[in-house]
Amino acid sequence: MIKTAFINNIPFNFSEGEMILSFVRKYFEKDYIPTLCDAQNLEPFGSCRVCTVEVALQKNGNTKTVASCHTPVIEGSYIYTHSEKVNKIRKNIVELVLTDHPLDCLTCEVNNNCELQTVAAKVGIRDVRYPEGKNHFDRKKDLSHPFMTSDLAKCINCFRCIRACDEVQGEMVLSMAGRGFDSQIIKSNNNNFFESDCVSCGACAQACPTSAISDVFESKSVIYDKKVRTVCTYCGVGCNLDVAVSNGNVKSIQAPYDAEVNNGHTCIKGRFAFTFYNHPDRLKTPLIRKNGELTPATWDEAYDFIAEKINEIKSKYGPDYISGISSARCTNEENYFMQKLFRAVIGTNNIDSCARVCHSPTATGMQRTFGTGAATNSIDEINNTDLILVTGANPTNAHPVTGAKLKQFAMKKPMIVIDPRKTELARYAKYHLQLKPGTNVAVLNMMLYYIVEEGLEDIEFIKNRTEGYDEFKNHILNQNINELEKISGVNKELVKQAAIAYAKAEKAMSFHGLGVTEHLQGTYSVMLLSDLAMITGNIGKKGVGVNPLRGQNNVQGAADMGCQPHQGAGYLDFTKPEIHNLYEEFYGVKLSQKIGYKIPEMFEAMVEGKLKAMILMGEDVVQTDPNSNFVIEALSKLELLVVNEIFMTETAKMAHVILPASSFLEKSGTFTNGERRIQRVNAVVDPIEGTKPDGQIVIDIINKLGYKQADYNPETALEEISKIVPFFAGVKWNELGINGKQWPVMPDGSDTKILHKETFKRGKGKFQTATWHESPEITENKKDFPYILTTNRELEHYNSGTMTRRTNISQIVPDDVLLINPVDAKKHFIAEGDMVCVMSVRGKIDVKAHITDEVEPGILSSTFHFPLVKMNVLTSEISDTEALCPEYKVVSVNIRKSKGVYQNV
Amino acid sequence: MGRKILLEKTGIENINTYEVYRREGGYSAVEKALKKMTPEEVVEEVKKSGLRGRGGAGFPAGMKWSFIAKPEGVPRYLLCNADESEPGTFKDRFLMEKIPHLLIEGMILSSYALGCNTSYIYIRGEYMWILRILEKALEEARQNGWLGKNILKSGYDLEIYVSPGAGAYICGEETALIESLEGKRGNPRMKPPFPAVKGLWQSPTVVNNVETISSVVSIVNNGGEQYASIGLGKSTGTKLISACGNIRKPGVYEIELGISVEEFLYSDEYCGGINNGKRLKACIPGGSSVPILPHYLVTKTANGEQRLMTYESLADGGFATGSMLGSGGFIVFDEDQCIVRNTWNFSRFYHHESCGQCSPCREGTGWMDKVLKRIEYGKGNMHDIDLLVSISKNIEGNTICPLGDAAAWPVASAIRHFREEFEWHIKEPVKCLETNYGLVKETELEA
Ligand SMILES: Cc1cc2nc3c(=O)[nH]c(=O)nc-3n(C[C@H](O)[C@H](O)[C@H](O)COP(=O)(O)O)c2cc1C
Ligand code: SF4
Ligand code: SF4
Ligand code: SF4
Ligand code: FES
Repeated sequence: MIKTAFINNIPFNFSEGEMILSFVRKYFEKDYIPTLCDAQNLEPFGSCRVCTVEVALQKNGNTKTVASCHTPVIEGSYIYTHSEKVNKIRKNIVELVLTDHPLDCLTCEVNNNCELQTVAAKVGIRDVRYPEGKNHFDRKKDLSHPFMTSDLAKCINCFRCIRACDEVQGEMVLSMAGRGFDSQIIKSNNNNFFESDCVSCGACAQACPTSAISDVFESKSVIYDKKVRTVCTYCGVGCNLDVAVSNGNVKSIQAPYDAEVNNGHTCIKGRFAFTFYNHPDRLKTPLIRKNGELTPATWDEAYDFIAEKINEIKSKYGPDYISGISSARCTNEENYFMQKLFRAVIGTNNIDSCARVCHSPTATGMQRTFGTGAATNSIDEINNTDLILVTGANPTNAHPVTGAKLKQFAMKKPMIVIDPRKTELARYAKYHLQLKPGTNVAVLNMMLYYIVEEGLEDIEFIKNRTEGYDEFKNHILNQNINELEKISGVNKELVKQAAIAYAKAEKAMSFHGLGVTEHLQGTYSVMLLSDLAMITGNIGKKGVGVNPLRGQNNVQGAADMGCQPHQGAGYLDFTKPEIHNLYEEFYGVKLSQKIGYKIPEMFEAMVEGKLKAMILMGEDVVQTDPNSNFVIEALSKLELLVVNEIFMTETAKMAHVILPASSFLEKSGTFTNGERRIQRVNAVVDPIEGTKPDGQIVIDIINKLGYKQADYNPETALEEISKIVPFFAGVKWNELGINGKQWPVMPDGSDTKILHKETFKRGKGKFQTATWHESPEITENKKDFPYILTTNRELEHYNSGTMTRRTNISQIVPDDVLLINPVDAKKHFIAEGDMVCVMSVRGKIDVKAHITDEVEPGILSSTFHFPLVKMNVLTSEISDTEALCPEYKVVSVNIRKSKGVYQNV
Repeated sequence: MGRKILLEKTGIENINTYEVYRREGGYSAVEKALKKMTPEEVVEEVKKSGLRGRGGAGFPAGMKWSFIAKPEGVPRYLLCNADESEPGTFKDRFLMEKIPHLLIEGMILSSYALGCNTSYIYIRGEYMWILRILEKALEEARQNGWLGKNILKSGYDLEIYVSPGAGAYICGEETALIESLEGKRGNPRMKPPFPAVKGLWQSPTVVNNVETISSVVSIVNNGGEQYASIGLGKSTGTKLISACGNIRKPGVYEIELGISVEEFLYSDEYCGGINNGKRLKACIPGGSSVPILPHYLVTKTANGEQRLMTYESLADGGFATGSMLGSGGFIVFDEDQCIVRNTWNFSRFYHHESCGQCSPCREGTGWMDKVLKRIEYGKGNMHDIDLLVSISKNIEGNTICPLGDAAAWPVASAIRHFREEFEWHIKEPVKCLETNYGLVKETELEA
């Protein structure tokens, strides 16, 4: 029903429950009613009272002054936004606020960009009537932190920072101490920013209307020539960033409020970790190894060298002796050309990407159950669900913006966390199933068992939408629950309660991460997660589904574009003749039909002499792939190793040719985030001199090898892609808009928020069974290596840290640490900060200890952000049986206190 | 002698113990309600009684109770407001100290009526000894089966907890009280939503004053109509008044609403007149937050009618010439008292007690304190008086909670009625430090 109320005697429509302020803003400009404590993406707070208006219940009736931001509109009421009384109140209130605000605007950081200044001018303040009085001008600035700053003499107590920290980030770092006039913002227990629990998300700085809380890049007020909207290059959340550029230099980054993905929020990496881009370490010239030394060369020399070598190897051994690893950090278009280089130009399917080492089991598993290996739903449906299951993921660290949303959820509604570590979400979750690493299949089978046993299946859904249920049910009911309880170490009562909660929730959403996939039984765990969703009917509508939290910014896209050895662009199976013909016709050349090597197979082939050349696009496999010593051995056997890189990585150091690439800030294209959202990456600055976008480099090589390909241009590239990748059919560069489109995109340009609505991609959903197996890593090594080491990530760093270590983030987190339970630490006489020697059957490393109950006794966990520690010396080459994703999450190790001394990198 | 309801038995020796309280008929109302009445019937009686909130605002208790939301599967809470921190108000302390079981009996009845299974008494932190009295009484009640599971085999469960504040007046404001009880900083909440819909832990909640809740005992025992027959018009029943200042007999009195202010102030049964034979200068009839009345408006209204101790009569004349019954803190000033100093004293209090979230209140209370102090010490100027009026107008009605109003009204009313005294302080910067202004001139009275 449409309701009417009057704004300054003119009737307008409002919706029930709407606040006066938003009602007025709908019809007038945003700052028609001045405000101080109101802020975008924060709940109304009602403390500044500057938004006061007069309201009468009938025409010419008695009026009352109310704060418009939190007073609901009443039907038929008369709202006066600028009456004499209201104007006077506003002016007087702002005047009162100014009595405790230093009037040194000219020297203030935010001069000319200050909301207080703007509001004061708007309400017509010229001078302040009050005499000198007690004030807070003498508060000291806080410059302790590499990014966050505060100057609380400028604070106007609007609480926006506190609310941003609570409502947006959920970190609760900021609070108001003291009462009344003496009240003051404090961080944690009255610490400075550096010592506080602040996770440097910058939400408070962006929310603060003055310079009271800001950041070192002065992002609120920095003077810029242009602001460019682009997409973050770190994780798969795909935050939109507003990048301020001046004189061709990136000055600062803010999070746009109109971004559907991140709604004005982002994390430390997105907001602050951009300074790597013009770091002196950037590679700026091609390098060719001559007499064992990497020596500067021209682009042509490098390309000629590569072309010659490739042709030589091709004619000597055949195209299948050449392989490539594409990069999930690069754009869709670049990935597309990389696979095209291998398939259409070199003539082999030996092309893979780092999706292999993270979510390949997700793709395989979900293809088997649903028919598509991508997230079924969208992140913002967190607001539409009743229960969330998080398995093997630590999103508050690895996917911070989604993590913050999940944390907000867990504070209000039930969440189940399946994770060996007491992650931040686990601390908020109603149910934490703290299993032994490597037992996901056991716990998921237990959950499925209880759902069946309690008769909580969605019979209707199973009957209409799925197949294979009877067999599956038989298998499930034959599980030995007591045995599984022992294997997983999780109390079966707790599993039962969680299972019942999941099944009974009206809508339940499931998220999972690498703690599911990077295992021997990764694919099987993913299939069981799909089973859980199908058995409870949690598929095909809003607020449900199975949603992998994709690791890298474009890991979805790398696979979509065909950077995998068994499927071409668009996941089409080239072993089928009709598909093979389609590709041959499209590329206009003869193509190989032989399935290529997956990454782990590539290293084995190199050792066996079956691979002679490799082109790596932005991958540091030495640092990030398991069993580093083996990887090094493999690479050293190559006749040609080409690496496109922005920095000299451990892998690049072994290359024959290094081609200096441009970073995400210097190129355009598209990234596809974890919810299948294809978003525009827009070049913010020109490529650093001497570098080229990876896409251009690949195209140059393509041309050098004799295939005609026009220069790198995302618009024409997308045109080509949309013709071959079915779910990109309607993707056009100019139509992507600021928020992109979620694939499949139909030829008419319409996109898809929810998959499998009416039918599954594969027709009916297929129930798949799985039986738990112990990893050979454990069965073979547990006698001598009784501890289980699992790997994790810190919020502050990104993977091997190539980029984040080259920013001031290293002041916050300077090294890798090994998480160890107090019980184990005591047993080995290890104290906090001691160096620990960690040994596996493959090697040993030294790492600094952090004693915490985040891990159970017997379990250790560590990051691998720093090259010095070489964590992957320890990890094994055991992989998921189906998708060959390495088992990073389970390593049999032993520990002892190290004789080594702690070294800061 | 006026009729007594709340203090009727306070004279009995050891009435603070369970044995004596029970012997004197205590807890019979609980027996009656739990055995013979539905919760709705209890609410009905309270509605009939016309009982109004005794915490200050005077909102009809029965009506407040009937607003409470009753969503399925969500608990409801009753909170007893025993934060009593308003300068001049000390009636709840007296009641709880003398006859703690009366409050507990009232809590059981009210909780039953509202369908609450957990209730809290939020008590002023400085009342630590009373907290102990209450905890002892609660333990006695529990021992004797008046609390706990299945009380009197009625199937009704109830637990009552006492929780102390930490020295902030603002925590007497009902939503700040709720925040504080939740363990947070005592910042009042925005309304809506009202506590009756979303209060403690986001559940429907009723907050009532100690005296309000204690009055329910008699209403259940004798019926709402009987209670309503006491008092005058919409001011039914009896009210505790804590009288202080320059009177002969300061203390806590229970009055039948409707007696005249004159009787209360001058009769020997109550205040016993002004101390030391001095003349009355002013009176604040309802605690520090209500407007001050000059002597010529205390016993008579501006229309010359007799002023009565009722919600309506004390408010007669509105802000121009009236005041409020408020929380019943009756403060009397004789001719030797300085209005400027007293106003400053109150302002200092509100400055100290503002929670600080609303800019008008946080900054405004600070400035009222500063400016009044200056005037009091002979350092003010004539603009200051207008500045004070302007600040008080800025605060009034423009804040989240009524503390803002409570801080503004004393200043606004003092200037309204005693402007000459403020001006005199400015004109006589030296003299004002040594002597007092005295009474308002008679000529002013006529105007
Ligand atoms: C600043 C402030 C302080 C208050 N302090 C008290 C108090 O100490 N005791 C009290 O009963 N009510 C106090 N109130 C009133 C309460 O907010 C609330 O109206 C009252 O407890 C309701 O109870 P009643 O309806 O029984 O009067 C205060 C209000 C304000 C604005
Ligand atoms: S930067 Fe983020 S975590 Fe740190 S105080 Fe601000 S809002 Fe909180
Ligand atoms: S620091 Fe900024 S956002 Fe926080 S209360 Fe002060 S002015 Fe407001
Ligand atoms: S009026 Fe004063 S005490 Fe009340 S909420 Fe606002 S600042 Fe706090
Ligand atoms: S914007 Fe409404 S009170 Fe601040």
